[in-house]
Amino acid sequence: MKRYWWLGLIFIGAVILPLVVGEFWVHVAVEILILGLFAVSFNMIFGYMGQLSFGHAAYYGVGAYATGMLMVKASVPLPLCLPASMIAAGICALIFGYFCVRLTGIYFAILTLAFGQLMYYIIFQWYSFTGGDDGLQGIVPPDFLFGATAYYYFTFCIVVAALIAMWYISKSPFGYTMRAIRDNADRTRFLGINVRKYMLINFVVAAMFAGLAGGLLGPFNRSIAPDLCNWHQSGVPVFMTVIGGPLGFLGPIIGSVIYTFLMAFVTGFTEYWPLVIGLIIIFVVLFMPGGVLGLAEERVKIFRSKDVKVGANESEERESF
Amino acid sequence: MDISLIFAQFLSGLSRGMMLFLIASGLSLIFGVMNILNFAHASFWLVGAYFCYTFWYLMQDFGFGMWVSIPLAALSLAAIGWFIEVVLIRRVYNRDLPEQLLLTYGLILVIGDLIKLTWGVEDKLITRPPLVARPVFFFGMPFDSYFIFVILVGFTVAVGLWWFLKKTRYGHIVRAAVFSREMVSALGIPIPRIYTGVFALGLFIAGLAGAVQAPVGSITLGMDMAVVVQAFCVVVIGGFGSLLGTFVGSIIVGEVYAFSILFWPQGALVLIFIVTAFILIVRPWGLFGTPMRA
Repeated sequence: MKRYWWLGLIFIGAVILPLVVGEFWVHVAVEILILGLFAVSFNMIFGYMGQLSFGHAAYYGVGAYATGMLMVKASVPLPLCLPASMIAAGICALIFGYFCVRLTGIYFAILTLAFGQLMYYIIFQWYSFTGGDDGLQGIVPPDFLFGATAYYYFTFCIVVAALIAMWYISKSPFGYTMRAIRDNADRTRFLGINVRKYMLINFVVAAMFAGLAGGLLGPFNRSIAPDLCNWHQSGVPVFMTVIGGPLGFLGPIIGSVIYTFLMAFVTGFTEYWPLVIGLIIIFVVLFMPGGVLGLAEERVKIFRSKDVKVGANESEERESF
Repeated sequence: MDISLIFAQFLSGLSRGMMLFLIASGLSLIFGVMNILNFAHASFWLVGAYFCYTFWYLMQDFGFGMWVSIPLAALSLAAIGWFIEVVLIRRVYNRDLPEQLLLTYGLILVIGDLIKLTWGVEDKLITRPPLVARPVFFFGMPFDSYFIFVILVGFTVAVGLWWFLKKTRYGHIVRAAVFSREMVSALGIPIPRIYTGVFALGLFIAGLAGAVQAPVGSITLGMDMAVVVQAFCVVVIGGFGSLLGTFVGSIIVGEVYAFSILFWPQGALVLIFIVTAFILIVRPWGLFGTPMRA
């Protein structure tokens, strides 16, 4: 347990954060938490299952729309909307995932991307139901969560609970089955494990957490738009995970901190945020393979957790098969 | 519903399919040979359309302006492709899939904003030359004569690519490089130069496709996003790296779109996805592809 003292520090830091910084940075922190949850859920598929999903935003968007529409059209209280978001995203992932888990590698990436865009077009074109490209306005959080600080604590509790849940999943026999599938699907199949079924379950669970992240977004922004489902949004967790390092559990969160801070900073003085982040992505890919955690791992001892090392070796071995 | 309407829908589906073929064939060629999925392919396609507009704008006093702009735009894209391959793509050959995809994803974002900065956000419109400005009539149904030109270009590129890959020495080298990079380079053929050539050729076709698309309607930002996913569907249906598969896949997607628009206009895209998913279940590697590489 001694290794995790820095987690305690981060926790304390996160709790006192709204007391020491201004409202703008509290907003940024909420965004970091939401996008971080989104990225960690993406990493359940990428880091632990070894498949690259380029359509993960679909479930984020479905979650956001589920909460948004329930709140605006049916006035359902927020605590009930969030589980509904998870269920909606899960059902969606069950249907799409059924096809996606039949493929691997680049084919998996393309099919998830295609289904993601399908979801986007459905939301975009179904004007009478979703509001189309007008989006959905007036998603007002309940009174006790109205201020930025209150919403921050609310998000913080839910995100931490979700992270702990995902952490337990990754440490459970199920999580190790996913690692086995990632490292060698054929051998796992020989052990009598139904690989497709396990992949589908993992896909659905990951999508449910993405849906939860999406559900948290609506009341925070007071509005949502179909762009949430878009392809551009799907690239965000990929980038966060690559920059933060996919093999550490908290890697995507680090990516989220970097990405969101950059966005808050850059959008302050230019509207050409895609251009800037595009250049940064290209730069990172060319010159920083392994991401920030990869760099930090070489320098700082505390990030060198056991799981990361084992995973790294196994993934190298996988290449040679 | 009579025969003339069916024929008109068939032709419009064919022209749509040929447009998709022009985009998807470059995508499939680059993936088949270099094993790199170019997410930004449709962004280059859009750049091709804007280039065509600019060339046409400079030459709009001449009647032949549009006919010259189309090949010029395609050649410009080939030059851009050559540059991008040498500067960026070459460095990620040996990287993992997510990094390769992220690189081209980064390109989408950069190109999207560069287009905005260069050409602004207003839609651009090219006035067609008189030859293709008026509709032609088949069985009394009007049909846009420009679409005949699109279909012709599609078929020409299909035959040209087939001829290049099957009949020429360079085509043989390219096909050999698909099977074994090592063997080809052991024969003294520089693989990086082959790859640069293939990437430039892929973007040449993308630029041609964009330029041919430009006079169809107005050129708008974000047009690429709608088309790229359909192009992916085409290559998934046809099988990656298969020219014939891409051709058949394009026609399937184009025709499905054209006919479903008669019955269920909002669902045309959804139907394309259903067809794609169905084909994937029956043949996960596509209609004409070979079972997938690991």
